[in-house]
Amino acid sequence: MAIAGALIWAAVIGTLIYATRERRRVQSEHAAGLLILWGGAIIPALLLGLLLGYALWLMPDIRPWSAPGEPAGLRIEVEGEQFWWRVRYHPADGPPVDAANEIRLPVGERVEFTLTSSDVIHSFWIPVLGGKMDMIPGRTNRLTLRAAKTGTYRGPCTEFCGTSHALMAFSVVVMEPDAFRDWLADEARPSPGAGAPGGELFIANGCPACHTVRGTEATGAVGPDLSHVGSRETLAAGIMPVDVEAIASFISKPDAIKPGAQMPAFGMLPEADIAAIAAYLEGLK
Amino acid sequence: MKPPPIAPEEVRRAQEKRLRDVWETPSGWRYWTSVNNTQVGVWYTATAFAFMLFAGVLALLMRTQLAVPDNDFLSADFFNQAFTLHGTVMMFLFAVPMFEAVAIYLLPPMLGARDLPFPRLSAFGFWSFLIGGAFVCGSIFFDAAPNAGWFMYPPLATDKQYSGIGADIWLLGLSFIEVASIAAAVELIVGTMKCRAPGMRVNMMPLFAWYLLIVAGMILFAFPPLIAGDLLFELERMFDWPFFDAARGGDPILWQHLFWIFGHPEVYIIFLPAIALMAMIVPTFAQRPIVGYSWIVLAAVGTGFLSFGLWVHHMFATGLPQISLAFFSAASEAVVIPTGVQIFVFIATLLAGRVIFGVPMLFGAGGLAIFIIGGLTGVMVALAPFDWQAHDTYFIVAHLHYVLIGGMLFPVVAGLYYFYPLVDGRKLSDRLGKIAFWLMFVGFNVAFFPMHLSGLRGMPRRVFTYPEGLGWDWLNLISTIGAYVFAAGFLVVVFDVLRPKSRQPALERNPWNAGTLEWINEPDENWGVRSIPLIESRYPAWDQQDLIRHTDEGRFYLPDAEEGRRETLVTSVLDAEPIYCMRVGGNAVSPIVAAFALGAVFIALTFEWWVATAVSAFVTLGAILFWAWTGTAEIPEKPGKDIGLGLTLPLYRSGPESVGWWAMFITMVGDGTAFGSLVFGYFFYWTIHEDFTAGTAGPGVLWPMAALACFVAAWLLMLAARGVNARGSAIGMRLAVGAALVLTAVGSLTGLYGPWVHGMDPTAHVYPAIVWVLVAWTAVHGAVGIVMLLYCLARSFAGKLTTAHDIDIHNVVLFWHFLTVTAVTTFAVVGLFPLAL
Amino acid sequence: MRILPKEIETLWTLFTAPVVWALHFLVCYVGAAIYCAKQDAVDFGFGVVRAGIGAVTVAALAMIVLSAVLAWRQWGFGTYDPPHDDPTPHDRRRFQGFATLLLSGLSFIAVVYTAMAALMISGCFQ
Repeated sequence: MAIAGALIWAAVIGTLIYATRERRRVQSEHAAGLLILWGGAIIPALLLGLLLGYALWLMPDIRPWSAPGEPAGLRIEVEGEQFWWRVRYHPADGPPVDAANEIRLPVGERVEFTLTSSDVIHSFWIPVLGGKMDMIPGRTNRLTLRAAKTGTYRGPCTEFCGTSHALMAFSVVVMEPDAFRDWLADEARPSPGAGAPGGELFIANGCPACHTVRGTEATGAVGPDLSHVGSRETLAAGIMPVDVEAIASFISKPDAIKPGAQMPAFGMLPEADIAAIAAYLEGLK
Repeated sequence: MKPPPIAPEEVRRAQEKRLRDVWETPSGWRYWTSVNNTQVGVWYTATAFAFMLFAGVLALLMRTQLAVPDNDFLSADFFNQAFTLHGTVMMFLFAVPMFEAVAIYLLPPMLGARDLPFPRLSAFGFWSFLIGGAFVCGSIFFDAAPNAGWFMYPPLATDKQYSGIGADIWLLGLSFIEVASIAAAVELIVGTMKCRAPGMRVNMMPLFAWYLLIVAGMILFAFPPLIAGDLLFELERMFDWPFFDAARGGDPILWQHLFWIFGHPEVYIIFLPAIALMAMIVPTFAQRPIVGYSWIVLAAVGTGFLSFGLWVHHMFATGLPQISLAFFSAASEAVVIPTGVQIFVFIATLLAGRVIFGVPMLFGAGGLAIFIIGGLTGVMVALAPFDWQAHDTYFIVAHLHYVLIGGMLFPVVAGLYYFYPLVDGRKLSDRLGKIAFWLMFVGFNVAFFPMHLSGLRGMPRRVFTYPEGLGWDWLNLISTIGAYVFAAGFLVVVFDVLRPKSRQPALERNPWNAGTLEWINEPDENWGVRSIPLIESRYPAWDQQDLIRHTDEGRFYLPDAEEGRRETLVTSVLDAEPIYCMRVGGNAVSPIVAAFALGAVFIALTFEWWVATAVSAFVTLGAILFWAWTGTAEIPEKPGKDIGLGLTLPLYRSGPESVGWWAMFITMVGDGTAFGSLVFGYFFYWTIHEDFTAGTAGPGVLWPMAALACFVAAWLLMLAARGVNARGSAIGMRLAVGAALVLTAVGSLTGLYGPWVHGMDPTAHVYPAIVWVLVAWTAVHGAVGIVMLLYCLARSFAGKLTTAHDIDIHNVVLFWHFLTVTAVTTFAVVGLFPLAL
Repeated sequence: MRILPKEIETLWTLFTAPVVWALHFLVCYVGAAIYCAKQDAVDFGFGVVRAGIGAVTVAALAMIVLSAVLAWRQWGFGTYDPPHDDPTPHDRRRFQGFATLLLSGLSFIAVVYTAMAALMISGCFQ
């Protein structure tokens, strides 16, 4: 399409430049009229008609409503929040599994996404896998994607959603189907680090009011699920690496890192406590 | 044609003196009370450019922030305000007003009119624009600018915590400017259809006028849906009526529909006038008439219509049914055809002529080269599968800037270089023009071409920063450098315009040897044309021998102002046969007072100062009534006058022959469109819900039907009033008007009583809210109608509305037709539709 | 009996064909949108909607062709070439006819494009 576009541009601009040259034959009005008829009307109408037909023919295949003959597979529910992603896996067999800010997919399988929003409009997009779909409060949009090869990708929010719209992304990890199923089973269980030291500080300082860590008494649902936060590719919806330092800085001043974020700052806690909580969270693999 | 006879020298001197006195521009502070199109047009243009420079500075700030990854030059919040204001200002305070400004300035001379039919309305529009624009722009200095993006999607923009008063400033400030745009549309449609020089048939109209006619018509159907949307939006923000709140049955998508029904035609409202300038420039530089005049008319009309079938292509990613997307995809491809036709018309004209190259052509051709790229990417994003990928990324940012800068800014600069001698009698510098062009052309492409790539590499728009290492870093740096080069080029243009030119010799008239009528205007005289010529060609300055001399010698129509009044001719729509001689309004303070008072209403509303709102509303009403009373439907001192060439025309006409009737008709079409948008909202909520009423009570059947009956009866009485007045009974007219007044009041109150008595709570759910809006809309129109009736009665008792001079009653009856349609629709919908469920 | 309606002296005939396009577009879009929103409440399939769109399309194309024929007559059946810029009512009428004819052509194409949507897409696919 880009090449065809470039050719059309060159042809039109070439004619225009030729027309402004001083030494050339002056065309008759009749010939000029024919140029308008063919160049301006008939040829574009045919080309556009063909292009339109092709695109319309593509549409249902790119966004299949359902794939005939294929059993219902994995469904992933993603809810946009200012400024992070709530993720819930619904495997065909088994109970749902909660996660956040990262999406893992089995390679080669059709995955259906149900997209909603709890506050404002966001838009869900994994550029390498397919087009985007808005997440609109009060509506549930559906999107199906099929990843062709394994790898780690990035997906940004693409509808302006507030102060830190630019800081709202997620990582996408496409895995072999077996590895994916093992991972999902692990994800459903508490992390081995859930009972590690630092957990008591996490509980005592009020974190469970908003966050869940499976296997502990932290069952809050306001903020992202942290059950396996240590094993994710990124922290704070795709903007930082997952290491103790980054976690500690986010705990002490989330609003400076992510303006407009809902999480209150915990900078008043003793530094040692923040470090301990950060180490605990980093250990939730 | 035989040249008309010439008057003796001393007679001509006396005529010129009288004309000069009548059309004189006031001096001192009174200069600002001028309403003549030459002054208002220049102020308007200068103001629009000033807003554009302001928005350009915001753009440079943003580009600086984005030059490198993870930059902290601007805060996230300031960046969000900056891009919102940049888009808003460029669209609402530059692109659209610029066309109104240029049209106000150029249209009368092109059509051979002395002024537009409603000069005071133009002045009112200008002052409204200035006040509203300054209010919106000023907000950023108080950290209170709108910050939700220029299309203000709820629920983000309805969130008071997030947007503060910024969103109110946007909604109210721009509603005010939209009102000014509709005023301009009324002015331009009536001006083009009714105020052309005699003989200028529709096949001889300058193409600029054809374009403007279409664009003004588009405004009439495009802006009202946004005004309706603004109304719903502001009701939600101010009174918590849940139109866009999903939790209470509202839907954010309705705003997107209303916004883009406005927003896409808007692009063509911006683009067509700029292309219209090209349609004037190209024949001049090809030194031959345009090839394919009818094709241009096809393109303008075709684009005007098709542009209303594109809006959903901004919503391809919202999850609408694919079949819906497909329809809009189809129309989006179809609209490319008329656009292509226009470009080929220009090329064909150049090919069939001998081209002289000048700075205007340089900007014109450069603009086309840029625009075509934008058009081609437009073809791509109109295809849903491509758009799902490109939507809301920098690819779109690149596309829209290619379209708007190539399709609007470059042609406008071309027009600036071309028409500058008409304003000042001097040309702008060729050398500076060329420097400016190359800086702008190169800078533009360096800035915006890389954005296609950063968009395809996944960079979303409206991000205040981005992480490094995603392949966007160097593309953004290049864009920033290009933006500065582009800005430097534009500064050269600004310098060229502002530099003192008194040492430059004044040029002869018509320095480009153009063929159209505006070039026979004298820059030093305020009267427009010395006499209104009889037109026999599309390019009268080329084809009609000695046209300039004969016009200057006052050999044509209206060479004199014996009665000391500003006058112009009103002609018929198709063949421009003279109908009557119209006296247009002179310089006045009332439009300024009305604009400032109305501005105060909107500003006070923003801060929810209710008393100030009420007081300013009262002052506005007073100013408008005073303006109408003193400046419209004046009974002339004699029935007709000799306008020259042996032609005597009446001085008073009512009904469809008068310009006031047309103005009312056009205004009410716009008003009806806004109402239609609200009705659309009602049915939209019905489609998205299983149970539309959510189990809440409706307004019942009885009260809506009673209100409907009252309105229909009032309408019949108004028809009777007009009829008996025409048959000579002023008393009968007064009685019928009085009865209609009572019935309208009763009907409005009865209409409101329905939802009231059934306890419909508009904050509880969207169903009661939309019913209340429809009923209140009708009642407010009823109240406006009552004011009109009181006005008619007062005019009748004052002897200004008589059985022979009945403009007022004709126009009010016309309003009544529309009011009746509104009332019948409202009460039938709210009363009967729930029964059908 | 008159086969073609009498010639009307007005500017508005120019807009006939685009208005037909607009109505056709509106009927197709609104019809499909309401069907897709309410498909659970009705007991017919999308095929009925497509058939309806087909019928509306045929009607719209017929009206556009009629407008084109009238315009062709107003233009003088192609006897005169543009530019139609003489200062006479005849040439003004020819100009109107020619412009109307061109607009009919554009509207015809636009209606066909719209109908292609219903031809290629066989369901709501939401």
